Amino acid sequence: MVGAAEEVHLNRLESQVENGGGGAWEYLCLARKLKVRRSDKVLKFGLPILNDPRARSKLGGEEWTLYEQVAIAAMDCQQIDIAKDCITTLLKRFPGSTRVGRLNGMLSEAKGEFAEAERVYEQILEKNPLDQAIQKRKVAMAKARGDLSAAVELLNKYLEIFMADYDAWRELAEIYVSQQMYKQAAFCYEELILFQPTVPLYHLAYAEVLYTMGGLENLQTAKKYYASTIDLTGGQNTRALYGVCMCAFAISQLAKGRSKEQESADLQSLAAEALLKEYKQRAPDKVAILTATLRGMKLIS
Amino acid sequence: MSGEDLVLDTAIRDWVLIPLSVVMVLIGVLRYFVSKLMRSYQAPDQKVVRDGQVILRAGHLRAGANFIPPKTFYSRRTYFTNEENGILHVPKGQAQNAQAQMFSDPNMAVDMMKKNLSMIIPQTLTFAWVNFFFSGFVAAKIPFPLTQRFRSMLQNGIDLSTVDVSYVSSRSWYFLNLFGLRGLFSLILGEENATDDAQRMMQMSGFGFDPAKNLSAEKDSIDILQHDWALPKFEKRAEAVLRRIVS
Repeated sequence: MVGAAEEVHLNRLESQVENGGGGAWEYLCLARKLKVRRSDKVLKFGLPILNDPRARSKLGGEEWTLYEQVAIAAMDCQQIDIAKDCITTLLKRFPGSTRVGRLNGMLSEAKGEFAEAERVYEQILEKNPLDQAIQKRKVAMAKARGDLSAAVELLNKYLEIFMADYDAWRELAEIYVSQQMYKQAAFCYEELILFQPTVPLYHLAYAEVLYTMGGLENLQTAKKYYASTIDLTGGQNTRALYGVCMCAFAISQLAKGRSKEQESADLQSLAAEALLKEYKQRAPDKVAILTATLRGMKLIS
Repeated sequence: MSGEDLVLDTAIRDWVLIPLSVVMVLIGVLRYFVSKLMRSYQAPDQKVVRDGQVILRAGHLRAGANFIPPKTFYSRRTYFTNEENGILHVPKGQAQNAQAQMFSDPNMAVDMMKKNLSMIIPQTLTFAWVNFFFSGFVAAKIPFPLTQRFRSMLQNGIDLSTVDVSYVSSRSWYFLNLFGLRGLFSLILGEENATDDAQRMMQMSGFGFDPAKNLSAEKDSIDILQHDWALPKFEKRAEAVLRRIVS
């Protein structure tokens, strides 16, 4: 994830290069470090460096990293020829390298030749069955072909070994949500919360999955996680505010008539008030709709 | 000890000091490339990788346990530590020690031997060469005085106690080069060059590592973990946050 300060720095560098201020190499390094996907810019700034032998030789060993970066960016922009040139150069320098082999597979993927890519990846995996990057490529490929169940299967197999790779857990969670397999998705989000207990996004996503599953117990838990999101974001997350209100409403519906344990009603009414305040500040024309909705849920009088 | 200085022949500089340094550098570079050629890629063992990952994940479970609902925590704990097939559970007898594993794997032994040979052979040869041609005379003078304790370091090979300590014997010059050129090598060969002997020593000492021990230690600490769900407290905290916003 890219922090706000880093993004500002990146954007400043980008406009600086755009306006002829130099610093293209710094921009490319930063883009690589932050793993941002700005392929058009990377291609635009990187290609002139590669085409200029003097600028290229100035980079020393980094030259080859740039070739790789530009090749991937070119594939992303469907500039297959450029990507092919880069890969040919790399292959000449590093024959038999796994990393270049991966690029070759990606090139096939970019051209839409999935069977060929599959063959390339299998070849690499035969030599080194624990190559994480290749296994992830295979997942991405299954996803690109729309075969989500295969992607899930591959990811599960991958996580069987690399179970501390939290990017993979996150990917799996998102796929499960899209497949409406909420129980499994909840498990993945639990893993993510364990990994980084202070990231509100995971709390929010977990709460949402629980709310979607429904049931009294899940709703109560979901409300708690919405509450923790509110706490972790300092009340700035509108979705979490809504979440608390919705959970409270659903719980009161479910618990109706039953011996309901008296929960404090403070949280949801406070959340409703906070929502109203936010809407008054930012979208005054929608306050009426919100008021009606909240009144319907009996959260404001 | 007389007050007058020993005058060193310029031929010594031209034929001993400079050639010795140049040869040391060249041998270092040569060794780097030879060891690069001999280095064999060793595919990591699946079980070792998995054990490492299991320990990492268990550590996260331990650290963040209070942030997930009780039920999910207990199911995870069972998954990690149950006595039949918990992933942290190491069956008795299977816990082989690393030493035995090292000897049972011939690849590892060969690899270590290669590393050692590439280190020892050139050193023995150059030392013999220096000893044969250049032993027993003064090769250089350092421009500042030193105490007697440095005599064994700087005048190795000359058994004269009357020579001033700031004179360096040729054999000592060899040793100084051997240990002092690391900085130069990392400059010309890149940061992580294979000639770094000190680093290699560190790696060798890391061989006592035993994954089974780590697994069972992690298992014990998860077993005694008390689960205290933190989330109910968050509702109160969220209320406080919202009150501040609303008011």
